Amino acid sequence: MSARAHKLINQPQNIVSEMLDGFCAAYGDIARLTDEGLVVRATPKAPGKVALVIGCGSGHEPAMIGWIGEGLFDVNIAGEIFTAPGPERILQGIKAADRGAGVLVCVSHHAGDLLNAELALELCELEGIANVDMVVLYDDISSAPKGREPERRGTAGLFFVWKMLGAFCEGDGDLAAAKALAEKVRDNTRSLAMSLSSCASPVTGQVMFEMPEDEMEIGMGLHGEMGMGRQKALSAGETIDLMLPPILEDLPFQAGDEVLVLLNNSGSLTLMELFILYKRVAEKLAEAGIRVYRSWIGPYATTQEMAGFALSLCRVDDELKALWDARANGAYMKQL
Amino acid sequence: MREIGSDNLKAMLIAIAGRIADSRERLNRLDAALGDGDHGASISAAFEKTVAELARLPDPKPSEIWLTTARCLMNGMGGASGALFGTLFLKGVAPIQGKERLVKADFDELWAAGLAGVKARGKAEIGDKTMVDALQPAVLAFAANDNIAAAWPAAAEAASNGAESTRELIARQGRAKYLGERGIGHQDPGATTIALMFEALDSYWREMTNGKT
Repeated sequence: MSARAHKLINQPQNIVSEMLDGFCAAYGDIARLTDEGLVVRATPKAPGKVALVIGCGSGHEPAMIGWIGEGLFDVNIAGEIFTAPGPERILQGIKAADRGAGVLVCVSHHAGDLLNAELALELCELEGIANVDMVVLYDDISSAPKGREPERRGTAGLFFVWKMLGAFCEGDGDLAAAKALAEKVRDNTRSLAMSLSSCASPVTGQVMFEMPEDEMEIGMGLHGEMGMGRQKALSAGETIDLMLPPILEDLPFQAGDEVLVLLNNSGSLTLMELFILYKRVAEKLAEAGIRVYRSWIGPYATTQEMAGFALSLCRVDDELKALWDARANGAYMKQL
Repeated sequence: MREIGSDNLKAMLIAIAGRIADSRERLNRLDAALGDGDHGASISAAFEKTVAELARLPDPKPSEIWLTTARCLMNGMGGASGALFGTLFLKGVAPIQGKERLVKADFDELWAAGLAGVKARGKAEIGDKTMVDALQPAVLAFAANDNIAAAWPAAAEAASNGAESTRELIARQGRAKYLGERGIGHQDPGATTIALMFEALDSYWREMTNGKT
Protein backbone atom coordinates (compact mmCIF):
# COMPACT_ATOMS: atom_id res chain seq x y z
CA MET A 1 0.00 0.00 0.00
CA SER A 2 1.45 3.34 -0.91
CA ALA A 3 1.57 6.66 0.84
CA ARG A 4 -0.54 9.47 -0.56
CA ALA A 5 1.82 12.18 -1.74
CA HIS A 6 -0.80 14.67 -2.89
CA LYS A 7 -2.52 16.25 0.07
CA LEU A 8 -5.25 18.87 -0.04
CA ILE A 9 -3.29 21.68 1.51
CA ASN A 10 -2.26 25.14 0.39
CA GLN A 11 1.31 26.28 1.17
CA PRO A 12 3.23 23.69 3.21
CA GLN A 13 4.47 26.40 5.58
CA ASN A 14 0.85 27.30 6.45
CA ILE A 15 -0.39 23.78 7.21
CA VAL A 16 -0.48 24.15 10.99
CA SER A 17 -1.91 27.67 11.16
CA GLU A 18 -4.60 26.99 8.55
CA MET A 19 -5.52 23.72 10.25
CA LEU A 20 -5.89 25.46 13.63
CA ASP A 21 -7.95 28.26 12.06
CA GLY A 22 -10.28 25.73 10.47
CA PHE A 23 -10.59 23.64 13.61
CA CYS A 24 -11.46 26.60 15.82
CA ALA A 25 -13.86 27.98 13.22
CA ALA A 26 -15.70 24.66 13.25
CA TYR A 27 -15.73 24.09 17.01
CA GLY A 28 -15.80 27.63 18.35
CA ASP A 29 -18.16 26.65 21.14
CA ILE A 30 -15.49 24.30 22.52
CA ALA A 31 -12.06 25.69 21.60
CA ARG A 32 -10.54 28.93 20.43
CA LEU A 33 -7.22 30.04 19.03
CA THR A 34 -5.34 32.75 20.93
CA ASP A 35 -3.19 35.44 19.34
CA GLU A 36 -0.18 33.40 20.36
CA GLY A 37 -1.45 30.42 18.37
CA LEU A 38 -2.48 28.37 21.40
CA VAL A 39 -5.62 26.25 21.32
CA VAL A 40 -7.51 26.91 24.56
CA ARG A 41 -10.96 26.15 25.95
CA ALA A 42 -13.68 28.50 24.74
CA THR A 43 -14.75 28.73 28.40
CA PRO A 44 -11.83 28.38 30.83
CA LYS A 45 -12.24 26.01 33.77
CA ALA A 46 -13.08 27.48 37.15
CA PRO A 47 -10.24 29.11 39.12
CA GLY A 48 -8.59 26.96 41.79
CA LYS A 49 -8.25 23.81 39.69
CA VAL A 50 -5.13 22.19 38.31
CA ALA A 51 -4.67 23.04 34.62
CA LEU A 52 -3.46 20.60 31.97
CA VAL A 53 -1.16 21.57 29.14
CA ILE A 54 0.31 19.56 26.33
CA GLY A 55 2.69 20.58 23.57
CA CYS A 56 3.07 18.16 20.69
CA GLY A 57 3.87 17.90 17.04
CA SER A 58 1.02 18.34 14.57
CA GLY A 59 -0.02 15.78 11.99
CA HIS A 60 -1.74 13.43 14.49
CA GLU A 61 -5.20 15.00 14.39
CA PRO A 62 -7.55 14.89 16.15
CA ALA A 63 -4.76 14.62 18.78
CA MET A 64 -4.37 16.84 20.65
CA ILE A 65 -6.56 19.77 19.53
CA GLY A 66 -9.60 17.52 19.70
CA TRP A 67 -8.90 16.99 23.41
CA ILE A 68 -9.29 20.61 24.45
CA GLY A 69 -12.49 21.14 26.36
CA GLU A 70 -14.42 20.47 29.52
CA GLY A 71 -13.20 17.39 31.37
CA LEU A 72 -10.08 17.27 29.21
CA PHE A 73 -7.12 19.58 28.48
CA ASP A 74 -6.94 23.31 29.01
CA VAL A 75 -4.28 24.27 26.47
CA ASN A 76 -2.62 22.61 23.50
CA ILE A 77 0.53 24.04 21.98
CA ALA A 78 0.65 22.65 18.46
CA GLY A 79 4.13 22.32 16.99
CA GLU A 80 5.08 21.92 13.36
CA ILE A 81 4.38 18.56 11.68
CA PHE A 82 5.77 15.77 13.90
CA THR A 83 7.87 18.39 15.75
CA ALA A 84 7.40 19.36 19.38
CA PRO A 85 7.04 23.11 19.98
CA GLY A 86 9.98 25.01 21.47
CA PRO A 87 10.23 25.92 25.16
CA GLU A 88 9.07 29.52 24.92
CA ARG A 89 5.83 28.45 23.28
CA ILE A 90 5.28 25.84 25.99
CA LEU A 91 5.90 28.56 28.57
CA GLN A 92 3.20 30.69 26.89
CA GLY A 93 0.88 27.70 27.15
CA ILE A 94 1.62 27.26 30.85
CA LYS A 95 0.88 30.92 31.53
CA ALA A 96 -2.34 30.79 29.52
CA ALA A 97 -3.55 27.66 31.33
CA ASP A 98 -2.86 28.65 34.93
CA ARG A 99 -6.02 28.87 37.06
CA GLY A 100 -4.17 29.42 40.31
CA ALA A 101 -3.80 25.80 41.40
CA GLY A 102 -0.77 24.75 39.41
CA VAL A 103 -0.15 23.48 35.90
CA LEU A 104 0.74 19.95 34.86
CA VAL A 105 2.64 19.70 31.57
CA CYS A 106 1.94 16.32 29.98
CA VAL A 107 4.64 14.76 27.85
CA SER A 108 4.01 11.94 25.40
CA HIS A 109 7.45 10.38 25.61
CA HIS A 110 9.57 11.30 22.59
CA ALA A 111 12.92 13.06 22.76
CA GLY A 112 11.64 16.36 21.35
CA ASP A 113 8.57 16.53 23.58
CA LEU A 114 10.58 15.70 26.69
CA LEU A 115 13.55 18.02 26.08
CA ASN A 116 11.38 21.02 25.24
CA ALA A 117 9.16 20.47 28.28
CA GLU A 118 12.28 20.27 30.46
CA LEU A 119 13.55 23.52 28.98
CA ALA A 120 10.13 25.14 29.51
CA LEU A 121 10.19 24.15 33.18
CA GLU A 122 13.67 25.70 33.49
CA LEU A 123 12.26 28.90 31.99
CA CYS A 124 9.44 28.80 34.59
CA GLU A 125 12.05 28.60 37.32
CA LEU A 126 13.95 31.58 35.86
CA GLU A 127 10.72 33.60 35.74
CA GLY A 128 9.72 32.57 39.26
CA ILE A 129 6.63 30.66 38.13
CA ALA A 130 6.08 28.06 40.83
CA ASN A 131 3.68 25.15 41.07
CA VAL A 132 4.41 23.75 37.61
CA ASP A 133 5.32 20.12 37.09
CA MET A 134 5.52 17.65 34.25
CA VAL A 135 4.58 14.03 33.85
CA VAL A 136 6.18 11.77 31.25
CA LEU A 137 3.81 9.24 29.70
CA TYR A 138 4.49 6.09 27.69
CA ASP A 139 2.63 2.96 26.68
CA ASP A 140 4.25 1.32 23.61
CA ILE A 141 5.59 -2.10 24.60
CA SER A 142 7.59 -2.47 21.37
CA SER A 143 9.90 0.45 22.05
CA ALA A 144 11.76 -0.95 25.10
CA PRO A 145 11.61 -4.25 26.97
CA LYS A 146 9.75 -4.87 30.20
CA GLY A 147 11.70 -3.48 33.15
CA ARG A 148 12.75 -0.44 31.08
CA GLU A 149 9.28 1.08 30.78
CA PRO A 150 10.45 4.71 31.17
CA GLU A 151 12.31 4.36 27.85
CA ARG A 152 9.11 3.52 26.02
CA ARG A 153 7.35 5.83 23.59
CA GLY A 154 4.05 7.54 24.13
CA THR A 155 1.47 6.35 21.60
CA ALA A 156 -2.28 5.96 21.15
CA GLY A 157 -2.92 4.39 24.56
CA LEU A 158 -2.27 7.71 26.28
CA PHE A 159 -5.88 8.28 25.24
CA PHE A 160 -6.78 6.70 28.59
CA VAL A 161 -4.52 9.06 30.54
CA TRP A 162 -5.87 12.15 28.77
CA LYS A 163 -9.48 11.25 29.51
CA MET A 164 -9.10 10.24 33.14
CA LEU A 165 -6.57 12.91 34.06
CA GLY A 166 -8.83 15.51 32.46
CA ALA A 167 -11.74 14.33 34.57
CA PHE A 168 -9.58 14.30 37.70
CA CYS A 169 -8.52 17.92 37.13
CA GLU A 170 -12.15 19.08 37.12
CA GLY A 171 -12.16 18.08 40.79
CA ASP A 172 -10.36 19.49 43.80
CA GLY A 173 -7.20 17.33 43.71
CA ASP A 174 -3.90 19.22 43.82
CA LEU A 175 -1.00 19.16 41.37
CA ALA A 176 0.82 16.27 43.06
CA ALA A 177 -2.37 14.21 43.11
CA ALA A 178 -2.98 14.93 39.43
CA LYS A 179 0.51 13.77 38.54
CA ALA A 180 0.07 10.62 40.64
CA LEU A 181 -3.22 9.87 38.88
CA ALA A 182 -1.60 10.29 35.46
CA GLU A 183 1.14 7.89 36.49
CA LYS A 184 -1.40 5.40 37.81
CA VAL A 185 -3.26 5.32 34.48
CA ARG A 186 0.03 5.15 32.57
CA ASP A 187 1.25 2.24 34.68
CA ASN A 188 -1.93 0.30 33.91
CA THR A 189 -1.84 0.97 30.15
CA ARG A 190 -0.11 -1.00 27.41
CA SER A 191 -0.21 -0.57 23.62
CA LEU A 192 1.11 -2.16 20.48
CA ALA A 193 0.67 -0.80 16.96
CA MET A 194 1.07 -2.19 13.48
CA SER A 195 1.06 -0.78 9.99
CA LEU A 196 0.56 -2.01 6.45
CA SER A 197 1.75 1.17 4.80
CA SER A 198 3.94 4.20 5.11
CA CYS A 199 2.70 7.76 4.92
CA ALA A 200 3.91 10.90 3.22
CA SER A 201 5.13 13.94 5.11
CA PRO A 202 2.68 16.74 4.30
CA VAL A 203 5.61 19.18 4.39
CA THR A 204 8.03 17.51 2.00
CA GLY A 205 5.65 15.16 0.15
CA GLN A 206 8.24 12.46 0.71
CA VAL A 207 7.33 8.99 1.91
CA MET A 208 8.39 8.65 5.55
CA PHE A 209 9.74 5.13 5.08
CA GLU A 210 9.54 2.32 2.54
CA MET A 211 7.03 -0.48 3.01
CA PRO A 212 6.65 -3.34 0.51
CA GLU A 213 3.08 -4.13 -0.67
CA ASP A 214 2.69 -7.50 1.03
CA GLU A 215 4.38 -6.79 4.35
CA MET A 216 3.46 -5.29 7.68
CA GLU A 217 5.41 -3.91 10.62
CA ILE A 218 4.45 -4.66 14.21
CA GLY A 219 5.39 -2.05 16.78
CA MET A 220 5.23 1.03 14.60
CA GLY A 221 5.58 4.35 16.46
CA LEU A 222 3.32 7.36 15.97
CA HIS A 223 5.77 8.91 13.51
CA GLY A 224 6.64 5.76 11.59
CA GLU A 225 9.41 4.82 14.01
CA MET A 226 10.46 1.24 13.50
CA GLY A 227 9.13 -1.46 15.78
CA MET A 228 9.79 -5.14 16.20
CA GLY A 229 10.35 -5.84 12.54
CA ARG A 230 8.76 -6.65 9.22
CA GLN A 231 6.85 -9.71 8.30
CA LYS A 232 4.40 -10.93 5.73
CA ALA A 233 0.99 -9.28 6.03
CA LEU A 234 -1.48 -11.47 7.92
CA SER A 235 -5.27 -11.68 8.22
CA ALA A 236 -7.14 -9.65 10.85
CA GLY A 237 -7.52 -12.60 13.21
CA GLU A 238 -3.89 -13.67 12.84
CA THR A 239 -2.73 -10.11 13.44
CA ILE A 240 -4.65 -9.87 16.72
CA ASP A 241 -3.45 -13.33 17.75
CA LEU A 242 0.09 -12.03 17.27
CA MET A 243 -0.38 -8.66 18.97
CA LEU A 244 -2.64 -9.31 21.94
CA PRO A 245 -0.55 -11.89 23.86
CA PRO A 246 2.53 -9.68 24.29
CA ILE A 247 0.28 -6.84 25.51
CA LEU A 248 -1.41 -9.12 28.05
CA GLU A 249 1.91 -10.57 29.24
CA ASP A 250 3.58 -7.21 29.63
CA LEU A 251 1.45 -5.67 32.40
CA PRO A 252 0.34 -8.48 32.96
CA PHE A 253 -3.43 -8.34 32.43
CA GLN A 254 -4.97 -11.33 34.19
CA ALA A 255 -8.23 -13.21 34.54
CA GLY A 256 -10.60 -11.14 36.64
CA ASP A 257 -9.17 -7.79 35.49
CA GLU A 258 -11.44 -5.15 34.04
CA VAL A 259 -10.10 -3.18 31.09
CA LEU A 260 -10.80 -0.35 28.72
CA VAL A 261 -9.96 -1.17 25.11
CA LEU A 262 -8.95 1.21 22.35
CA LEU A 263 -8.54 0.26 18.71
CA ASN A 264 -6.98 3.39 17.30
CA ASN A 265 -7.02 3.92 13.56
CA SER A 266 -3.64 5.30 12.44
CA GLY A 267 -5.22 6.87 9.38
CA SER A 268 -6.66 4.91 6.49
CA LEU A 269 -7.97 1.60 7.78
CA THR A 270 -11.72 1.25 7.32
CA LEU A 271 -14.11 0.97 10.24
CA MET A 272 -15.10 -2.35 8.71
CA GLU A 273 -11.56 -3.64 9.26
CA LEU A 274 -11.46 -2.24 12.79
CA PHE A 275 -14.74 -3.94 13.74
CA ILE A 276 -13.43 -7.24 12.36
CA LEU A 277 -10.24 -6.77 14.38
CA TYR A 278 -12.25 -5.90 17.48
CA LYS A 279 -14.34 -9.08 17.17
CA ARG A 280 -11.17 -11.12 17.66
CA VAL A 281 -9.99 -8.88 20.52
CA ALA A 282 -13.30 -9.37 22.34
CA GLU A 283 -13.18 -13.15 21.83
CA LYS A 284 -9.60 -13.43 23.04
CA LEU A 285 -10.19 -11.27 26.11
CA ALA A 286 -13.24 -13.33 27.01
CA GLU A 287 -11.15 -16.50 26.68
CA ALA A 288 -8.56 -14.98 29.03
CA GLY A 289 -11.25 -14.10 31.58
CA ILE A 290 -10.66 -10.36 31.20
CA ARG A 291 -13.77 -8.21 31.31
CA VAL A 292 -14.13 -5.25 28.96
CA TYR A 293 -15.58 -2.24 30.78
CA ARG A 294 -15.74 0.10 27.74
CA SER A 295 -14.36 0.06 24.19
CA TRP A 296 -13.49 2.81 21.77
CA ILE A 297 -12.81 2.36 18.07
CA GLY A 298 -11.76 5.19 15.79
CA PRO A 299 -9.04 7.62 14.74
CA TYR A 300 -7.88 9.34 17.95
CA ALA A 301 -4.14 9.72 17.31
CA THR A 302 -3.28 9.42 13.64
CA THR A 303 -0.14 9.34 11.53
CA GLN A 304 -1.42 10.93 8.36
CA GLU A 305 -2.75 8.27 5.95
CA MET A 306 -0.82 5.37 7.46
CA ALA A 307 -2.83 2.15 7.14
CA GLY A 308 -2.54 0.63 10.56
CA PHE A 309 -3.90 0.56 14.07
CA ALA A 310 -2.86 0.47 17.69
CA LEU A 311 -4.39 -1.86 20.22
CA SER A 312 -4.36 -0.40 23.73
CA LEU A 313 -5.61 -1.81 27.02
CA CYS A 314 -5.96 -0.06 30.36
CA ARG A 315 -6.72 -1.92 33.58
CA VAL A 316 -9.27 -0.03 35.65
CA ASP A 317 -10.50 -0.02 39.22
CA ASP A 318 -13.51 1.81 40.65
CA GLU A 319 -11.67 5.15 40.82
CA LEU A 320 -10.62 4.95 37.18
CA LYS A 321 -14.03 3.73 36.01
CA ALA A 322 -15.68 6.75 37.61
CA LEU A 323 -13.15 9.07 35.96
CA TRP A 324 -13.68 7.34 32.63
CA ASP A 325 -17.44 7.85 32.82
CA ALA A 326 -17.19 11.49 33.94
CA ARG A 327 -18.34 14.21 31.58
CA ALA A 328 -16.01 15.28 28.78
CA ASN A 329 -16.69 17.64 25.92
CA GLY A 330 -13.85 18.00 23.48
CA ALA A 331 -14.40 18.23 19.75
CA TYR A 332 -13.20 14.64 19.29
CA MET A 333 -13.70 13.11 22.74
CA LYS A 334 -17.16 13.27 24.14
CA GLN A 335 -18.64 11.61 27.19
CA LEU A 336 -21.87 13.45 27.72
CA MET B 1 44.14 38.41 15.49
CA ARG B 2 43.89 37.16 19.04
CA GLU B 3 40.65 38.76 20.20
CA ILE B 4 37.22 38.34 18.70
CA GLY B 5 34.59 41.05 18.95
CA SER B 6 30.87 41.03 18.35
CA ASP B 7 31.18 41.86 14.65
CA ASN B 8 33.34 38.78 14.15
CA LEU B 9 30.95 36.63 16.16
CA LYS B 10 28.00 37.78 14.08
CA ALA B 11 29.96 37.07 10.92
CA MET B 12 30.79 33.61 12.23
CA LEU B 13 27.09 32.85 12.66
CA ILE B 14 26.33 34.21 9.20
CA ALA B 15 29.01 31.87 7.86
CA ILE B 16 27.42 28.93 9.68
CA ALA B 17 23.96 29.89 8.40
CA GLY B 18 25.28 30.04 4.84
CA ARG B 19 26.96 26.66 5.04
CA ILE B 20 23.87 25.04 6.54
CA ALA B 21 21.61 26.62 3.91
CA ASP B 22 23.87 25.27 1.15
CA SER B 23 23.62 21.80 2.72
CA ARG B 24 19.87 21.87 3.30
CA GLU B 25 18.98 19.12 0.81
CA ARG B 26 21.85 16.90 1.89
CA LEU B 27 20.76 17.15 5.54
CA ASN B 28 17.14 16.42 4.57
CA ARG B 29 18.28 13.30 2.73
CA LEU B 30 20.37 12.10 5.67
CA ASP B 31 17.45 12.70 8.00
CA ALA B 32 15.04 10.88 5.67
CA ALA B 33 17.08 7.71 6.22
CA LEU B 34 17.18 7.98 10.02
CA GLY B 35 14.43 10.41 11.02
CA ASP B 36 11.54 12.24 9.41
CA GLY B 37 13.44 14.02 6.67
CA ASP B 38 13.15 17.65 7.70
CA HIS B 39 16.40 18.37 9.56
CA GLY B 40 17.94 20.40 6.73
CA ALA B 41 14.80 22.46 6.22
CA SER B 42 14.24 23.16 9.90
CA ILE B 43 17.81 23.99 10.91
CA SER B 44 18.51 26.16 7.87
CA ALA B 45 15.30 28.10 8.59
CA ALA B 46 16.30 28.51 12.24
CA PHE B 47 19.77 29.82 11.35
CA GLU B 48 18.23 32.16 8.78
CA LYS B 49 16.02 33.51 11.57
CA THR B 50 19.09 33.80 13.81
CA VAL B 51 20.89 35.96 11.24
CA ALA B 52 17.81 38.17 10.87
CA GLU B 53 17.48 38.57 14.65
CA LEU B 54 21.18 39.35 15.05
CA ALA B 55 20.87 42.07 12.41
CA ARG B 56 18.22 43.71 14.59
CA LEU B 57 20.49 43.91 17.66
CA PRO B 58 22.15 47.35 17.57
CA ASP B 59 25.32 46.77 19.58
CA PRO B 60 25.19 43.31 21.08
CA LYS B 61 27.67 41.83 23.52
CA PRO B 62 29.06 38.38 22.68
CA SER B 63 26.78 36.79 25.28
CA GLU B 64 23.71 38.40 23.67
CA ILE B 65 24.71 36.99 20.29
CA TRP B 66 25.02 33.51 21.76
CA LEU B 67 21.72 33.85 23.66
CA THR B 68 19.85 35.10 20.60
CA THR B 69 21.20 32.16 18.61
CA ALA B 70 20.11 29.75 21.33
CA ARG B 71 16.60 31.16 21.43
CA CYS B 72 16.19 31.19 17.65
CA LEU B 73 17.33 27.57 17.40
CA MET B 74 15.19 26.32 20.30
CA ASN B 75 12.03 28.12 19.35
CA GLY B 76 12.52 28.25 15.59
CA MET B 77 13.16 24.54 15.20
CA GLY B 78 11.35 22.90 18.09
CA GLY B 79 11.72 19.14 18.42
CA ALA B 80 14.71 17.40 19.91
CA SER B 81 17.11 19.10 17.48
CA GLY B 82 15.92 22.55 18.49
CA ALA B 83 16.36 21.75 22.17
CA LEU B 84 19.84 20.26 21.67
CA PHE B 85 21.29 22.78 19.21
CA GLY B 86 19.72 25.52 21.34
CA THR B 87 21.37 24.08 24.45
CA LEU B 88 24.78 24.07 22.73
CA PHE B 89 24.57 27.86 22.49
CA LEU B 90 22.52 28.51 25.65
CA LYS B 91 25.12 26.89 27.91
CA GLY B 92 27.83 28.94 26.26
CA VAL B 93 26.24 32.19 27.42
CA ALA B 94 27.30 32.10 31.10
CA PRO B 95 31.07 31.71 30.45
CA ILE B 96 31.14 34.85 28.28
CA GLN B 97 28.66 36.95 30.25
CA GLY B 98 29.82 40.57 30.53
CA LYS B 99 32.75 40.20 28.11
CA GLU B 100 33.24 42.65 25.25
CA ARG B 101 35.78 40.59 23.35
CA LEU B 102 36.61 36.91 23.44
CA VAL B 103 40.01 35.22 23.55
CA LYS B 104 40.90 31.60 22.89
CA ALA B 105 40.26 30.59 26.52
CA ASP B 106 36.72 31.99 26.31
CA PHE B 107 35.98 29.80 23.31
CA ASP B 108 37.42 26.81 25.17
CA GLU B 109 34.98 27.50 27.97
CA LEU B 110 31.92 28.18 25.88
CA TRP B 111 32.38 25.08 23.76
CA ALA B 112 33.06 22.93 26.82
CA ALA B 113 29.94 24.26 28.55
CA GLY B 114 27.89 23.72 25.40
CA LEU B 115 29.14 20.16 25.01
CA ALA B 116 28.41 19.34 28.66
CA GLY B 117 24.91 20.80 28.29
CA VAL B 118 24.13 18.83 25.15
CA LYS B 119 25.36 15.59 26.71
CA ALA B 120 23.38 16.14 29.89
CA ARG B 121 20.18 17.13 28.10
CA GLY B 122 20.32 14.44 25.44
CA LYS B 123 21.80 11.81 27.77
CA ALA B 124 24.11 10.92 24.89
CA GLU B 125 27.73 9.80 24.94
CA ILE B 126 30.30 9.20 22.23
CA GLY B 127 29.25 6.25 20.11
CA ASP B 128 25.48 6.79 20.43
CA LYS B 129 25.24 8.06 16.82
CA THR B 130 24.27 11.62 17.72
CA MET B 131 25.65 15.14 17.33
CA VAL B 132 27.93 14.36 20.30
CA ASP B 133 30.03 12.10 18.04
CA ALA B 134 31.10 15.20 16.09
CA LEU B 135 30.84 17.82 18.84
CA GLN B 136 32.97 16.19 21.51
CA PRO B 137 36.01 15.53 19.28
CA ALA B 138 35.71 19.06 17.86
CA VAL B 139 35.62 20.66 21.31
CA LEU B 140 38.54 18.56 22.54
CA ALA B 141 40.61 19.27 19.43
CA PHE B 142 39.88 22.98 19.72
CA ALA B 143 40.97 23.03 23.37
CA ALA B 144 44.09 20.97 22.66
CA ASN B 145 45.52 23.70 20.42
CA ASP B 146 46.78 26.79 22.25
CA ASN B 147 47.00 28.71 19.02
CA ILE B 148 43.53 29.73 17.90
CA ALA B 149 44.56 29.69 14.26
CA ALA B 150 45.46 26.02 14.59
CA ALA B 151 42.44 25.28 16.80
CA TRP B 152 39.75 26.00 14.15
CA PRO B 153 41.06 23.62 11.47
CA ALA B 154 41.78 20.96 14.09
CA ALA B 155 38.21 21.24 15.39
CA ALA B 156 36.77 21.14 11.87
CA GLU B 157 38.74 18.04 10.97
CA ALA B 158 37.80 16.29 14.22
CA ALA B 159 34.11 17.15 13.74
CA SER B 160 34.18 15.90 10.17
CA ASN B 161 35.83 12.61 11.16
CA GLY B 162 33.40 12.27 14.04
CA ALA B 163 30.40 12.81 11.76
CA GLU B 164 31.70 10.20 9.34
CA SER B 165 32.22 7.74 12.19
CA THR B 166 28.46 7.77 12.87
CA ARG B 167 27.88 5.95 9.59
CA GLU B 168 28.90 2.62 11.11
CA LEU B 169 27.18 3.12 14.46
CA ILE B 170 23.88 1.85 15.83
CA ALA B 171 21.87 4.72 17.28
CA ARG B 172 21.19 4.64 21.02
CA GLN B 173 19.32 7.95 21.32
CA GLY B 174 16.59 9.73 19.39
CA ARG B 175 14.13 8.13 17.04
CA ALA B 176 16.90 6.50 14.98
CA LYS B 177 17.49 4.06 17.82
CA TYR B 178 14.31 2.23 16.84
CA LEU B 179 15.95 1.40 13.50
CA GLY B 180 18.64 -0.63 15.29
CA GLU B 181 20.98 -2.24 12.79
CA ARG B 182 18.90 -0.87 9.94
CA GLY B 183 20.51 2.52 10.63
CA ILE B 184 24.02 1.28 9.88
CA GLY B 185 25.45 2.87 6.73
CA HIS B 186 23.65 6.16 7.30
CA GLN B 187 25.49 9.20 8.66
CA ASP B 188 23.77 11.03 11.52
CA PRO B 189 22.32 14.35 10.33
CA GLY B 190 22.90 16.11 13.69
CA ALA B 191 26.58 15.13 13.71
CA THR B 192 26.82 16.25 10.08
CA THR B 193 25.39 19.64 11.00
CA ILE B 194 28.02 20.02 13.73
CA ALA B 195 30.73 19.18 11.20
CA LEU B 196 29.32 21.77 8.78
CA MET B 197 29.29 24.37 11.56
CA PHE B 198 32.94 23.84 12.43
CA GLU B 199 33.92 23.74 8.75
CA ALA B 200 32.18 27.09 8.28
CA LEU B 201 33.98 28.55 11.31
CA ASP B 202 37.30 27.28 10.00
CA SER B 203 36.69 28.77 6.54
CA TYR B 204 35.59 32.06 8.05
CA TRP B 205 38.71 32.23 10.19
CA ARG B 206 40.99 31.48 7.21
CA GLU B 207 39.37 34.16 5.07
CA MET B 208 39.39 36.73 7.82
CA THR B 209 43.03 36.27 8.77
CA ASN B 210 44.20 35.47 5.26
CA GLY B 211 46.32 32.74 6.70
CA LYS B 212 47.97 35.10 9.20
CA THR B 213 47.62 34.85 12.98
